[in-house]
Amino acid sequence: MALTGLEIFKQLPKTNCKDCGQATCLAFAMALATGKTSLEQCPHVSDAAREVLDSASAPPVALVKIGVGEKQVALGNETVLFRHDKRFENPCAIAVSVSDMLSEIEVYDRVAAINGLVFDRVGQLHGVNMVAVVNSSEDADRFALVVQTVAAVSELPLALLSDDPSAIEKALAIVSAKKPLVGPANLANYEAMTALAKLYETPLLVRGSDLNELASLVEKVAALGWKQLILDSGARSVGKVLADQTQIRRQALKRFRPFGYPTIAFATNVDSMQAVLDAGIYISKYAGIVVVDSVNRADILSLITLRLNIYTDPQKPIAVESKVYEILAPGPDSPVYITTNFSLTYFCVAGDIEASRVPGYLLPVDTDGVSVLTGWAAGKFTAEKITEMLNSCGIADRVSHRKLVLPGGVAVISGRLEELSGWEVMVGPSESAGIPAFIKQRWGA
Amino acid sequence: PAVELPVYRKIRLKIPQPTLDDPADDWGRLTRATRGETGIERLSVSLNVLRDLPRVLRDAGWDVSVALAEKDTWQGVEIAGVEPFPSGRKYYGLAVDIGTTTVAAELVDLETGRTGGARGSFNRQSVYGDDVISRIIHAEENPGGLEELQKAILETVNDLIKDLAGGLGIGQADIRAAVCAGNTAMTHLFLGIDPAYIRLEPYTPAANNIPAVQAGQAGLHIHPQAWVRFIPGTASYIGGDITAGVLATGMSEADTLTLFIDIGTNGEMVLGNNEWLISCACSAGPAFEGGGLRYGMRAMDGAIENVRITAGGSTVQYSTIGGGAPLGICGTGLIDCVAWLYRSGVIDRGGSFAPHTPSPRVRDAGGGKEFVLAWSGEAGGGSDISISEAEIKYILRSKAAVYAGIRSMLQMVGLPFEAIERVFIAGGFGRYINIREAINIGLLPDIPVQKYAYIGNSSLKGARLSLLSKSARDAAEKIAGKITYLELSAGNTFMEEFVSALFIPHTDLELFPTAARR
Repeated sequence: MALTGLEIFKQLPKTNCKDCGQATCLAFAMALATGKTSLEQCPHVSDAAREVLDSASAPPVALVKIGVGEKQVALGNETVLFRHDKRFENPCAIAVSVSDMLSEIEVYDRVAAINGLVFDRVGQLHGVNMVAVVNSSEDADRFALVVQTVAAVSELPLALLSDDPSAIEKALAIVSAKKPLVGPANLANYEAMTALAKLYETPLLVRGSDLNELASLVEKVAALGWKQLILDSGARSVGKVLADQTQIRRQALKRFRPFGYPTIAFATNVDSMQAVLDAGIYISKYAGIVVVDSVNRADILSLITLRLNIYTDPQKPIAVESKVYEILAPGPDSPVYITTNFSLTYFCVAGDIEASRVPGYLLPVDTDGVSVLTGWAAGKFTAEKITEMLNSCGIADRVSHRKLVLPGGVAVISGRLEELSGWEVMVGPSESAGIPAFIKQRWGA
Repeated sequence: PAVELPVYRKIRLKIPQPTLDDPADDWGRLTRATRGETGIERLSVSLNVLRDLPRVLRDAGWDVSVALAEKDTWQGVEIAGVEPFPSGRKYYGLAVDIGTTTVAAELVDLETGRTGGARGSFNRQSVYGDDVISRIIHAEENPGGLEELQKAILETVNDLIKDLAGGLGIGQADIRAAVCAGNTAMTHLFLGIDPAYIRLEPYTPAANNIPAVQAGQAGLHIHPQAWVRFIPGTASYIGGDITAGVLATGMSEADTLTLFIDIGTNGEMVLGNNEWLISCACSAGPAFEGGGLRYGMRAMDGAIENVRITAGGSTVQYSTIGGGAPLGICGTGLIDCVAWLYRSGVIDRGGSFAPHTPSPRVRDAGGGKEFVLAWSGEAGGGSDISISEAEIKYILRSKAAVYAGIRSMLQMVGLPFEAIERVFIAGGFGRYINIREAINIGLLPDIPVQKYAYIGNSSLKGARLSLLSKSARDAAEKIAGKITYLELSAGNTFMEEFVSALFIPHTDLELFPTAARR
């Protein structure tokens, strides 16, 4: 079990010296418990305490890195079964397969397509993360040649998938500097595979025929001294993969060491729609790497988006998007209401505008998800910010008038808001429950 | 009360006369003797003492009474006066609680530790805003605004001092030391320090621990050379008043896990024991001090402080502070009122009025329904005293903020309610908060009522302790440095807890096993 802040606190020097950058030892302990800082930040912790805390705070799922440089993929360090309990830490890697049965030019085209699988989501670029070269030919030289081509064309980290150690060895001789994932190691080849992974210091994929075999295989590999592992339970039907992924994560969180590594899952159904659905399940359910066959942008975009959403940190204020909302199909004469983007505030106001049966526009100003008075108190709901939203959201083109309704609680900013925005400010009621009465008496009067 | 090294005290010193073998200077002789007697290393002297020192020492035949005024930990101790022994004059200390709404002051005999009198009054800054935020904004946005606020609080405190000193028949110059406890914004405004960044992310005050200043410089009407100290605070919204409160409860010295809650506008609370302390400010709003309600008032004569309502809401029994005609309702009365409105079926769990209540006391009033507590005929102010649906929901938000604050702190340290061994409640309320009803509406956690105690103005108590005892002053400094401030606006925990607590008593009834069911 992970330690609570209080348990960690008991091991700290309790000097409250602030050398760690936190105000108190307890604050540091709580930051440690939530993984926001590291024990190294405290220069005064005793060796005995360090030992206790290191072993207790070691992540239940090991951190495994594949590749080098900017595009390196980091997996693991996960601590929960459900994202709302804390957060999912390292977004799963999406790997696209390349078979070594393809011709040189086909490999070239396919990898170029993979390189292009990059999308703009909310102002940031997100793409696929790995190329998985599959030794379908069962020819070691052919495999090495294709690996060489792929490595020459793409900067993405590689997975070299072959259960033939000699094929892996030949490929590693060329690309070992890129620290690719290699394997699978299975019951038959694990000694040779582990020796290769150790020699080249690359992460190793371990595959069992079921969970029991996987666990004993991991223990054997670990006994040989290699712990940079990615797990594969061998399951290929979506139901079985889901069950195995859940077991592996669950047991890892209970500190069952053999399952304390990231996993890989294959969404390679020939029906591309089904493959996307399967991959979606694996993204949601604990997979470290999801391997797909498709280079179709339409298939990949949905997976990239889902991954971004699932791995978003849920510990953020509950806010609605700051934009113009239409309530009851308003027209150019309809009133414009100003509020904040705290979701509770937004839904209260939206509900009361609806109750007034007078259609209107609702503009929630971005206050980082805090309420009207909280936003005002912290300088986040100001005449300047409201003016900025009025000017940038396009509301001026949608209404023929220049009148807005301000929450009564911030009546004090009405003068400055009129000056800055040029809009006529009507100070509304303090409570949104007063909107129906207010709008009937005052709008258009 | 035990007096153990007060901030200002006098000691008798027999100073060795200078000889040709020992021709050291007078100041050197004085400090050497003082050090020998008290062990104090860092000694300074006020200029007027030094000016008269040679004459005074010789006139007294080297047998003198030396006044030691402690400034603060860093500045050490000042020799504030040297007179021939014995010294006839009595000396007093002033403890001040600078509250956002109410200011309280107390005069203490520094020799005996006896209280010479206590007075309270409204903070005259209120004309510039009811809460600290409005006042900070007033200081920022108006030229001379900060000076206006400083003047208002100084006038408030100086009038209290005049009143207190007059009552004891002593001169204001006999007051030789002062200790102030106030929230961070109040302390800034009192000294005219720019408060602008207190309210802006990431919420940094100019100073949590303010060095002692001289009364003349601060504008406080006591002995102009008296040192005015401020109990150190922790963060923008956890100030010296909370440190003083923790000090007064003694919770930082005990093994017992204690929860201390100040149910005021800022809603500060501290949880912990002698090992650790964690705090947060839940911004409950002034509802329980009577603020923000049409008929809300402070706990003073005429305030309804007890309410009983029969089923259906047709009859109301109440009692007022002082027993006279009701003028309004104070915090304890509001808690009773909401509990009984719910119990009698007038309002539902969300605080909305039930659609058809036969009571003649429920009526439509402009924007919504309201419940009449006292008819104009019985009320002292000539109009009906009522509470509206919007006001009930406002009270529910206040109580939800307090409860959510407690839950968030417990979650942060991973402890259950059962781990809390004692709860101290401070705040403006009535004379005593009805703990049972506070649990029934979901303001306080449902743990045995025997664990609760109401402690009144803990901030003033802490200030008085600091006047009288060196160990209390040291403890206050340790407390302020030790409190871990939990920022409730970071993360979702508080918001989720808040929304769940907006009902009577809560959305999760299992959290309130003993709360009265309707």
